Amino acid sequence: MEEKRIKVLIAKPGLDGHDRGAKVIALALKEAGMEVIYSGLHKTVDQIVNMAIQEDVDVIGLSIMSGAHIPITKKLMEKLKDMGIQDKKVFVGGVIPSKDIPKLKEMGVEGVFPGGTPIEEAIAAIKASVKK
Amino acid sequence: MSTARYIKNEKDQILDVILESGIHIKPVYTPKDLEEIGFSYEEDLNDPGKYPFTRGIHPLGYRSRAWTTRQYTGFGTPKETNERFKFMISHGQTGLNVAFDLPTQMGYDSDDPMAEGEVGRVGMAVDTIRDFEIAFEGIQLDRIGVGLTINAVASIILAMFQATAEKYGYDPKTISATPQNDILKEMIGRGAWIFPVEHAVRLIGDIIEYSMKVMPKTNPVSVCGYHIRESGATPAQEIAYAFLIAFAYIDNVRERGYDPDDFVGGFTFNFNVFGNIWEQVAKFRAARKLWAKLLRERYGVKKERNLFLRGIFGGGGYGLTKAQPENNIVRGAYYALVAALSGAQTTALCSYDEAYTIPTPHSALISLRTLQILMDEMGLRDTVDPLAGSYFIETLTKQMEEKILEEMEKIEKYGGIVKAVSEGYIQRMLARQAYEIERGIERGELLKVGVNIYVEGEPKEVELHEYNEESARLQIESLREIKRTRSQSKVKKALNELERATREGKNVMPYLLDCCKAYCTLGEMTNVFREIFGEFEEPSLF
Amino acid sequence: MAFPDPKELAERIISGDEKVASKVISMLENGEDIAFEVISEIYPGTGGAFRIGVTGPPGAGKSTIIDRIATFYGRGGKKIGVIAIDPTSIKSKGAFFGDRLRLKNAEKIDGIFIRSMAHRGFSGGISKAALGAECVLEALGKEIIIVESVGVGQTELSISFISDIVITVLTPDFGDEIQLMKAGLLDIGDVIVMNKMDLMNAEDKVKDVEGYLKSIRREQPLPVIRTIARTGEGIERLFEVIEECRGKKKEGGREKLRSLIFALAKEELSHEIERIMERDSRIDELLQRVEKRKIDPYSMARSVVQLLLEDGKMEEERWRRRE
Repeated sequence: MEEKRIKVLIAKPGLDGHDRGAKVIALALKEAGMEVIYSGLHKTVDQIVNMAIQEDVDVIGLSIMSGAHIPITKKLMEKLKDMGIQDKKVFVGGVIPSKDIPKLKEMGVEGVFPGGTPIEEAIAAIKASVKK
Repeated sequence: MSTARYIKNEKDQILDVILESGIHIKPVYTPKDLEEIGFSYEEDLNDPGKYPFTRGIHPLGYRSRAWTTRQYTGFGTPKETNERFKFMISHGQTGLNVAFDLPTQMGYDSDDPMAEGEVGRVGMAVDTIRDFEIAFEGIQLDRIGVGLTINAVASIILAMFQATAEKYGYDPKTISATPQNDILKEMIGRGAWIFPVEHAVRLIGDIIEYSMKVMPKTNPVSVCGYHIRESGATPAQEIAYAFLIAFAYIDNVRERGYDPDDFVGGFTFNFNVFGNIWEQVAKFRAARKLWAKLLRERYGVKKERNLFLRGIFGGGGYGLTKAQPENNIVRGAYYALVAALSGAQTTALCSYDEAYTIPTPHSALISLRTLQILMDEMGLRDTVDPLAGSYFIETLTKQMEEKILEEMEKIEKYGGIVKAVSEGYIQRMLARQAYEIERGIERGELLKVGVNIYVEGEPKEVELHEYNEESARLQIESLREIKRTRSQSKVKKALNELERATREGKNVMPYLLDCCKAYCTLGEMTNVFREIFGEFEEPSLF
Repeated sequence: MAFPDPKELAERIISGDEKVASKVISMLENGEDIAFEVISEIYPGTGGAFRIGVTGPPGAGKSTIIDRIATFYGRGGKKIGVIAIDPTSIKSKGAFFGDRLRLKNAEKIDGIFIRSMAHRGFSGGISKAALGAECVLEALGKEIIIVESVGVGQTELSISFISDIVITVLTPDFGDEIQLMKAGLLDIGDVIVMNKMDLMNAEDKVKDVEGYLKSIRREQPLPVIRTIARTGEGIERLFEVIEECRGKKKEGGREKLRSLIFALAKEELSHEIERIMERDSRIDELLQRVEKRKIDPYSMARSVVQLLLEDGKMEEERWRRRE
């Protein structure tokens, strides 16, 4: 039997085009031994969920730099529920004020990585989440 | 964030310094170094205001005029933006730089499903000319230059601006707008693109051609090395790629039969200021010199005024940290110093809380004061290019010049900037560089105060600018009202004319002007282009 | 899914459940037995889908061409599945799936199912999971299945076993004839495409390839199709050729099948040998004897196979007792 790999979708939802963070984490996760899919820019929540299903990812990582993390994450979590794939772990990274972290966690987000989070920390959190 | 790489021994003594651009800095520089590089005052520098302009484009620099401060502004409804404009102007800001929300940047109306959650968030929402009328109400458009941070739909926004100015009784020949209008950098590092490269460049050419004749005080293009630098480029690459991008636009207009001397004078640049202080200053001086030389050599530009490298040197976004945010106020001061020592005509700073959100009035003001203190209190206006003649700075400037040319050559060898961007060559390289920088910071090889040295406990909470849901609702309502009351037949006619002209390869600007006057929406006009041009296909990351 | 029933999973897939289909493909990738049982259930219903294999060196433009092929069939109302196989980094064992991003137009096709799979560096490993994935996609209802594979090494051989037509995509900057020959790329393609015809010396390269094809094939080879996938030039001709193939009855199936089974069996066998080499205590003893020059490597290898066969007999016993 082959080793189980962690498969991650790094997604850029909405209209925000700043992708440096998303690209850096995508490369980092690959170097850390994970299978990474990068969604590209300007994806809708529906497109992201569709990718997550077809690729059977373990983790969805949203990268949001425009400040719209609350409405976008809400929409995504609802859609995951609709499609019956809440077992997928969701992480949100980008420009996130600390006060929004509990709100996101309440929605069911597994972890939040505001700007400045060390890559190693993100990798460890993702690995830990999949083991549960 | 990026700093030089320091090789130290256990006693914290510096053994070597390696700048991002790859140049090593020696402990001491002497007249010998100038000899080695074959330094010649006339060839390499010359007086400020004289070719090749290394020391500056004006003979008297800041003695004749302090820099223009232009803080990026705009959020919510046009009314709120108008209020913030007036606030900043009353506190001494001398130019405007308008921020637009993402739906506007991406060509969507506020009531489009794609705009949900984004209306008025990162900038002002614009749907029709009505929004511009409100935003610029009471602003003296023949006195205040207006920067419009818009790219993919710059043609539409500029037409809208002209229509608004005309409505307020201004002669287009007197207004000065600077649409950013640089699509290639969007594809490299900002992501607000819509159409494929060739069509996008055609629109840029249309704007340049049009403004030459109709709005001569307008700077039709602001080529941005800024975002390229934010994406992970070295300072040398920032300049190199910006120049190549500028050349691509020049080529487009030249192919229409124009002489570069007729339009290149309207080109401006947007460069970043974070990083090692010496590398930055040397970068700007080398850039000024190279721009002049290359324009002369490549395009035979004759008029001296057209050889000036004009632009905004500022920002510093990536250099700021989330940890210990007050440190960013200090960083801002040092970045402003870089801009001043580099002779920037125009400048702006990222506010200290910008790692979080749109600046609060308080933090925006701090940035403004930072700039004013340098100019008015500290003596940065006293003399031009004060660092000239320094054994170190002159050596470094020459070395930066070589590095920039090297980087340009690499891309030309690949097949040119348009090819490199379409195929994702540059994007992939920068993503890799960005990754290496993050790794460098995590390994402590690149020092960053508050992040990997002098790290302290929990980050302090910062006062944030709140997103106003109500603004979005008002904007959408106002849009619906306009759609109800405007003349549908006029709208239809104008859009049809636009479509025809676009397909026929005509300059789209006059048709956009008519569309704006008829209260066509941004989304409607963009969709005409979308139908005809299609969408840019994002290249792969790996 | 605790103790899922393969029959049930198969039914869900046939009824169009993408979630289950996707999960089963993952199980195939992981080598989980139950996945193969699902394939057992759905295999009888397959065989009608048209499978297009696309291969070639990295950067040749495979994804762009696949994007166009998918769009072509999508417009015709066909249901499409795409399997994109990306290489796994040997060093880190991670993989980056970049193909999906390049299938910009295909992504918009109604009902398209796109799945990236890692080529995990196992010889033959590609056939094993990819074949199963094809079956799953077909059971989902996909009529056209496109498989994109990494263009180096031995995987090309396996892609031809699981495709009805193999398109090999080359570019003029690929290198010289010797390289082509070494890569074995030209030996398996049914259709050779020279993409990026706008590059220098493209026509010369086409002649090189056509010359090589003539020299290695007995029957008259297909002429090389010249394309610029980026702009769409030449693509129409490619569609024609593919459609011609789709219209024909599938020939040479028995030979392909034989090769496929051989590859799968080899894969099974090498797993078993790996298992023995890792776990069996007798191995270390044997290795010692080789080191001490008591036996030679050839003999040891034969002994290992012998151990496997003995083990196999024991397995058989255990199975019989279970029934």
